[in-house]
Amino acid sequence: MKSILLFGYGSFGKQLYKNLSKLGHDIKVITTLEEYVDLEKNKEIDIKQINIKRNDDILSLGINPDRDMLYCSMNKTANNLFLVLTLRTLFPQANIIAISNSFENTRKLEYAGANSVIDLYEATSRRIVNILTKPAVTRALDEIVYHQNDLKMAEIVLPKNSPVSGKFVRDVEFKKMGIVLIAIIDKELGQELIFTDHRINHKLDFDDILVVVAKDKDLDHFKRYLFE
Amino acid sequence: MKQTKHRLLSFAYHIEASKRYHTLKKFVYNLIENDSYPHKKYFDFFMIMVILTSVTLLVIDVKHHIPVWLDHLDLYVVTSVFIAEYLARMWVYSDIHKIIIDEYEEGFYFEKNVSIFHIFNIIIKDKWGYISSVSAIIDLIAILPSYRGLRVLRILVLFRAFKMLRYTKSLTGFLYVLKNKKFELITLLTLSAFFIFIAGIMLYVFEGDNDNPNINNLFDAFYWALITISTVGYGDIAPVTPEGRVVTMLIIITGIGLISFVTSIIVSSFNERLSVLREGRVIQDVGKKKHITVVCGYGLLGRLVVKGLEKDGVEFVVIDKDEHLAAQAYNHGYHSICADASQGDIFRQLGIESRITHVLCLTSDDIQNAFIAINIKSLNKDVYVTARCSDEEIAQKMEFAHVDHVIMPEEISGMMGAVYAGEPVAFEVLLSIIEEKEKTQIDEVDITKDSFLDGVSIGEIDFEKLRIILLGVFRNNDSSQIGKFIFNPDDDFALSVNDSLVCIGYTTAIANLKSRM
Repeated sequence: MKSILLFGYGSFGKQLYKNLSKLGHDIKVITTLEEYVDLEKNKEIDIKQINIKRNDDILSLGINPDRDMLYCSMNKTANNLFLVLTLRTLFPQANIIAISNSFENTRKLEYAGANSVIDLYEATSRRIVNILTKPAVTRALDEIVYHQNDLKMAEIVLPKNSPVSGKFVRDVEFKKMGIVLIAIIDKELGQELIFTDHRINHKLDFDDILVVVAKDKDLDHFKRYLFE
Repeated sequence: MKQTKHRLLSFAYHIEASKRYHTLKKFVYNLIENDSYPHKKYFDFFMIMVILTSVTLLVIDVKHHIPVWLDHLDLYVVTSVFIAEYLARMWVYSDIHKIIIDEYEEGFYFEKNVSIFHIFNIIIKDKWGYISSVSAIIDLIAILPSYRGLRVLRILVLFRAFKMLRYTKSLTGFLYVLKNKKFELITLLTLSAFFIFIAGIMLYVFEGDNDNPNINNLFDAFYWALITISTVGYGDIAPVTPEGRVVTMLIIITGIGLISFVTSIIVSSFNERLSVLREGRVIQDVGKKKHITVVCGYGLLGRLVVKGLEKDGVEFVVIDKDEHLAAQAYNHGYHSICADASQGDIFRQLGIESRITHVLCLTSDDIQNAFIAINIKSLNKDVYVTARCSDEEIAQKMEFAHVDHVIMPEEISGMMGAVYAGEPVAFEVLLSIIEEKEKTQIDEVDITKDSFLDGVSIGEIDFEKLRIILLGVFRNNDSSQIGKFIFNPDDDFALSVNDSLVCIGYTTAIANLKSRM
C-alpha cells in the first residue's frame, strides 16, 4: 500500500488511476482543470484542482518526499515536463515517475528529473508489431502482462530463513510449483537485475529479489511456502 | 427481313452464352487495356519494339537506301499488326451482341417493332465513341503506310511514335499536366501571340521598307518576333534601325517574363502530377507482393510501428490523409500514398481481396480509426484489423464491429505505472520485455516438421544448456483460428509441428535455437 499523488486526470491519468486503485493504493488526484473536479464530485475520488505554475499551490499539497510517489501524467507534454521540473526543484529526494509519448520527450523528462519514464508509444508500437510478427509472444504477453487470464508477473523479496535460503536456483523445484523464474537481483552480485537464463547458477539468500511469472493460485502457494 | 433479324438475334444469344468468347474477350481486354494485368507489359514491349523498328527504318531511309524486303516488312507486317490492334481495341470497346439483345428485349416488352437499321444505327453510334477518340485517331493515322514519295507525308510515320505514349504509363502522365493547366497555358499563349503580333507588325513597319534586307515580308517579321520573345535569338534577322532596336528591347523584357511564367506553371503542375505518378508506382509495386500490411496514419505511433515493421521485415504501405505526412513517409524511404483510408477505393486498388493481410488503424483520432476499421471489415471481413483507441467506450464499439485487436496506449502506461508503485523490480523486467531494447528479449520459436524438437516432450529438452527460460507453449489449433497459450507446460507435454515455444533469453541464444529449426 503506497501513498500516491497523481498529477493529471486526462486519458493517461484516468487509466493510471484505474490500475492503481485496483491494487488498493492510496491515491490523491491533482488536476489543473476545474471540470475534472466537477465530473468526479459524486464519486469517491480524492481530487483537487491547483495551478501547477504556482509553487504555493504545490507546497500546499503537503507532499512528503520520503513517503509519497509522484506520478506525472498530464496530457500536454509541455505541462508534464514543467511539472516534473517543478517537483524536482521543490523535492530533490522525491520518487517521480512520468508518462511520455515519444522517445524525444522521454529524454527531456529524464533530464528534467524523472526517476522513471514510461514511453507509452514505444511500448504500444512494439505490441502492434508483435501482433503481426510474433503471434505467440503477443498471446503470452496478453495473458501475463495485460491480465487477460489468471497469469501474473510478480516480484518477491526473499525473507530471512526461508526454505530456499542458501540453495542454488537449479536445486529449487520452481517448475513443479508452477513458478517460472525470469529475473533476479542477487545481492551478492550487486543491485543489477539479471535474467535467469541459466548462465549463472545463483545462490538464493535473504533480501534477494525474484521476479516470477505464475498463476495467481500458485503464486499464493509459493509465497506461503517462503514466508512460513 | 424477319428471318435475318431472327438469325441476328440467335447469333447474339449464342455469343452471350459462349464461355469461350467471353474468356477470349476478357483476355484481349486485359492484354491491351488493363494496366493492372501482369502480362500486359509483354504486349506493350512488343508494340514499342514494332514502332521503333518502323521509325528506325524511316530514319535510315533518309540517307541510305533500304532493301526491298525491309520496305515490305514495314509496309505489310507492321501495318497488319497495327490494323489488328486497332480492330481489337474497337472490339473490346463495347459488346455489340448486348446491344442487339437489349434492343430486341426492349422491343419485345413494349411491343415495338425494332428494325435492323435502327440496331445498326445504335451499334455504329456506340463504336463511333471509340473511333472519334484522340488516341484512336492517332492509331488510325499510324496505320497509313509510309508514303515515301511525299516528304511531308512521311512525317505521318511519326504518329507511330506518338502511339508509344499508349504503352508507357509514365509518359501519358505528362500529357495530363498540359491538360490540367489548360486555362493558364491558353491565357499565356494568347498573351504571347498578342505580343508577337504587335512586335512583328512594329518591326515590319519600321524596317520592312528596304531598311533591313533580311525582312522581306510580314512572315519574316513574325518569325523574328517569336525567336526574340522566346529568348532563342538566332540572329539571322536582326534589327538595324534605332526604332527596331527599341522594339527588340521591349520584347526581350516581356519575353523573359513570359518564359519564366510558363516554366513555373509547367513545373508546378509537374510537381502536383509527380505525386500521383509516384503513387501509381507504389500501387504497382504493391501489386507484385503476395502479402502486404497497410498502416493508416503516419503520426507519432505510426512512425514507431513502421520502424518496427521494417526491422522485422514485414512488407507494408503507409496511407495518410495528410499530404505532408505522406510525403514524409516517402522521404523516409517507405511506400506511401496520400489517400483517405476511410474510403474503399484505395484499398480496392491495393488488393483488399487478395493481398492485404493486416490493416493497422493508427491515427490519433479514435472515431477516424473506427471509421477506417469498419471500412476494411465491410470490404473484406477476413483482413486482420488492429486499431488504436484511447476511449474505452469507443473500444467497446470497435470490438462490437469485430475489430480483431484494439490497442489502448493509455492502458499500457496505466498498467505499467501501477506495477511500478508496488513492484519496481518487476516493472524493470516488464519494461525491458515490452520495449525490447535490451539484449534479453522475449521471442517465439516455431517447431518445424522433423526438427530436433518435433515430437519431443518438454522434460527431455535441456533449457539450461540452451540458456533459455521457457514461459510456455503456444499451440495452434487446426479447428479454430485462435491458438492457446499453455503456461509452464508439464515435463511430459509433447511438442508437435505448429507449436511455438515462447521463451525469454539472450538474442544470440534464441537466434541459435531458431537456426537449429
